[in-house]
Amino acid sequence: MTRAEFLQALEESFEVDQGTLEGNETLEDLECWDSMSALIYMALADEKLGITVSGEQIINCKTVNDLLDLLDDKLAA
Amino acid sequence: MAGGKVENAAIAGIACAVPKSLKTVAHEQKVFGEKEANRIAKNVGVFQRRVATDGICTSDLCYSAAEKLLENLSWDRHSIDLLVFVSVTPDYVAPATACTLQHRLKLAKHCAAFDITHACTGYIYGLWTVAHLLSPGTLKRALLLVGDTVTRLVSPGDRSVASIFGDAGSATAMEWDNSAPPMFFELGTDGGGAQHLMVKAGAFRHPATAATRIRTEREGGNVRSDEDLFMSGTDIFAFTLREVPPLTQKVLEHAGWDLTDVDAVVMHQANLFIINYLAKTMKIPKEKVIEDLADYGNTSAASIPMVLAGKLAERLASSYQRLVLLGFGTGLSWGGVAMTCRPVVVPAITEVEGDDISR
Repeated sequence: MTRAEFLQALEESFEVDQGTLEGNETLEDLECWDSMSALIYMALADEKLGITVSGEQIINCKTVNDLLDLLDDKLAA
Repeated sequence: MAGGKVENAAIAGIACAVPKSLKTVAHEQKVFGEKEANRIAKNVGVFQRRVATDGICTSDLCYSAAEKLLENLSWDRHSIDLLVFVSVTPDYVAPATACTLQHRLKLAKHCAAFDITHACTGYIYGLWTVAHLLSPGTLKRALLLVGDTVTRLVSPGDRSVASIFGDAGSATAMEWDNSAPPMFFELGTDGGGAQHLMVKAGAFRHPATAATRIRTEREGGNVRSDEDLFMSGTDIFAFTLREVPPLTQKVLEHAGWDLTDVDAVVMHQANLFIINYLAKTMKIPKEKVIEDLADYGNTSAASIPMVLAGKLAERLASSYQRLVLLGFGTGLSWGGVAMTCRPVVVPAITEVEGDDISR
């Protein structure tokens, strides 16, 4: 799975329009980012890439790109 | 992990009681706005839940469930040798709530009674403890009373917990029976994660003071005091992803079963998103995963018996059921059991009003 494909999967799970997420968005400013979407992101990381992200790692993320960086090892270039 | 086979102990009946008072998603809409409240409700699967008002305690709900169960079983109260109460919401700091319930239920003075402090894994701990104590045959009959009134620990301004929890109490009658099918347990603990699901103040490490009672704005705009329940949803989810699938596998292995042998899987009713995701990742067929979140929410220690006495009541009353029960949460702790349940007495879930209680 590529970075772009993961972004698209995130958009589908967050139920937002395709193209809403580009990567440089600040999580705090995103309407679709809350405690529930953090779980959705974790489930996707676990299901698609076999990565268990911790709560602490998510707290340290400021942008959508930061979330994707946590998965970098398993995302195809 | 601890666990193993326990023989000669059987469940004879299961009953539950809930407060009559309801809160629906309309209540959360007023606090968090319609859009966010609906989004949370859809994801966590909770549309209404029962709330202990008028000072209703967990013991009151368990008492009502036990009365109903004893009536239906026609058990002589003097035949009960053991009462175990499992909860994180007891009546007093001391004594054990089990002792007050021995008296209220008019059980004999030869009855042993004690409490176990556990929440989401509480029902599994209760079954495991009582089954072990009955197994040698010295004690013949036991009442396992498991429940919580977590809504009394929750800040209404904390969206991570405010709309999930409901209150309930359960009573499970168990007896020594040398023809009972064995139960297969597995239990585990990771106290290193205790802070992820915790009520910090109000006991002895951080005694209650005027300051611990003050609700302030915390992470994500959530409003809470140190005497309110704190839950880190992401850390709890990460923990369940890590521990629950291997737990399930261990329990099945002990019993020599695979998923096709199982009639129903009842997980702690954490929330719908977690249950659905765990079921998917463990490849459990959807029809075998039983949940009651829409009507009752997460009732903490009572969540597994609530499903047994509610959604599974007819099946449990009329047929043999091969069950896998899985608890996980506060501690952090986890526990599971695989057991064949013979037909048992399952009265309808009762409702308790504040006025009903003779304390």
